[in-house]
Amino acid sequence: MFLEFINVKHFRNYVQTAIDLNPSVNVFIGENAQGKTNLLEAIYVLAMAKSHRTPHDKELIQWGENYAKIEGRVSKNSGSIPLELTLSKKGKKAKANHLEKKRLSQYIGLCNVVMFSPEDLQLVKGSPGLRRRFLDMEIGQIQPIYLHSLAQYQKTLLQRNALLKQTNRKAPSVLALIEILTEQLVELAGEIIARRNRFIRDLREWANQIHRSITNDHEELSIQYRSSVGEVSDETDLSRIKKEMLSAFNQVFDKEIERGLTLVGPHRDDLQFYVNEKNVQTFGSQGQQRTTALSLKLAEIELIANEVGEYPLLLLDDVLSELDDQRQTHLIGTFKERVQTIVTTTSVSGIGQEMLKDARSFYVKDGSVASVKD
Amino acid sequence: MHYPEPIAKLIDSFMKLPGIGPKTAARLAFYVIDMEEDDVLEFGRALVNAKRQLIYCSECLNITDRDPCFICNDSTRDRSTICVVQEPRDVIAMEKMKDYRGLYHVLHGVISPVDGIGPEDIKVAELIKRLENEEIQEVIIATNPTIEGEATAMYLSRLIKPAGVKTTRIAHGLPMGGDLEYADEVTLSKAMEGRREL
Repeated sequence: MFLEFINVKHFRNYVQTAIDLNPSVNVFIGENAQGKTNLLEAIYVLAMAKSHRTPHDKELIQWGENYAKIEGRVSKNSGSIPLELTLSKKGKKAKANHLEKKRLSQYIGLCNVVMFSPEDLQLVKGSPGLRRRFLDMEIGQIQPIYLHSLAQYQKTLLQRNALLKQTNRKAPSVLALIEILTEQLVELAGEIIARRNRFIRDLREWANQIHRSITNDHEELSIQYRSSVGEVSDETDLSRIKKEMLSAFNQVFDKEIERGLTLVGPHRDDLQFYVNEKNVQTFGSQGQQRTTALSLKLAEIELIANEVGEYPLLLLDDVLSELDDQRQTHLIGTFKERVQTIVTTTSVSGIGQEMLKDARSFYVKDGSVASVKD
Repeated sequence: MHYPEPIAKLIDSFMKLPGIGPKTAARLAFYVIDMEEDDVLEFGRALVNAKRQLIYCSECLNITDRDPCFICNDSTRDRSTICVVQEPRDVIAMEKMKDYRGLYHVLHGVISPVDGIGPEDIKVAELIKRLENEEIQEVIIATNPTIEGEATAMYLSRLIKPAGVKTTRIAHGLPMGGDLEYADEVTLSKAMEGRREL
């Protein structure tokens, strides 16, 4: 799939801009703080109905304006669909084919994107929360129902934590309620863990394949899923996950009462990465951590293509210059023909000639975009 | 500009209603000024009477103007079944169906610890008290299919089952006359979960 055009209005530093995009490679060139990343963000928001940078939609609306609007048209095998997303203080409104979608889960996934930004280099080294976010965003894109389970889980978690914090939490009636919420939590947690498990299984395969080819077969990448039910093997079925989840809850119950907090569950899951059987988080070099992050993101492209039947858009935010020629060549070799790629960079000198061939370039300056005529 | 005080007060009052903002409130207030005086008096009286004359039924806790309410008082209804609902509005929805001939029990809310609402803040004790009546054989729990509604349903079933009363939960799934292809994934997956043998 690819985006035919994008219009943004009152978005970040853009008053109004319309851009026709190339189905293969698009390069946005400009100095720092001119609005290159904001454009990629707009595309991301149009696809995912939320930003990759901030949880506060208000920040996306141009200063002093009441709303921000992003429009685009995504071309797919089955035809092209006009998309429209409006953000205002009252919330967001998503339209596909000019019809409003009441549930965002019916909208997200119409246009699939994979974003690789400098922040993603933190995916390996950073806090577990970043890795959970990665899991949630990516699985949600492929399986919208996952987002529903996750939202239900978060709500139940809040309710349970509220009970655990009550001063009369040891009263029999409160204990009975906690037990009920534990049961509900186990149901939802089971579904979330099973879906994460399946996603990681597929991700592991693709990521290793890509990692090997980026490193000329020098490195083997493996991914481990650390969940609250211990090691989850690929065969672990839903009922077993739920059973183990329940016994995990039983084990920590006294501690939970003491601390007033839910201590096990998918909200505490983590991922671990091993290169040549060494933990990259602790023993890997900067370069290895970077390659690992890249392999993960590129694996996602294949995963989405596999699940959805079409390749997603690839958004590269100022990361090309971070990769050496060999890795760039790999990127291009793998995806140029099949994946619409949108790149930002401060100068073209960091980008290999092969990438720029047949690419459409734009200059970005102070919130305006001009196509570079060749 | 400033509104004259009487109309400003009227606007403020309208704004206390749900879903009414300053603009709608002003429009309604100006409309009231142009209404016939009799209609306005009737309107005012209706408001006051609704508040003053409505009470809660001592049995099912639904709103009513006489106690017990017309449903609890109806001798043709099946007294062995109680349908538990969240709000008085839900009784009206159920009654529209015209198929259910049992009694009701209105909880006036659901358990939600985040909002500080526990079992003692809704009409749970009153329900349990009603079960002492040997006549009752089945309790149908019809709280909304939300996290809080489900938790409340599970809580009630734990209290009721030991008393030896059959406890059931209404089904969730596809709307009747609907198209499978237009159902959202969540509803579909619930419908799959709740499938039954033919």
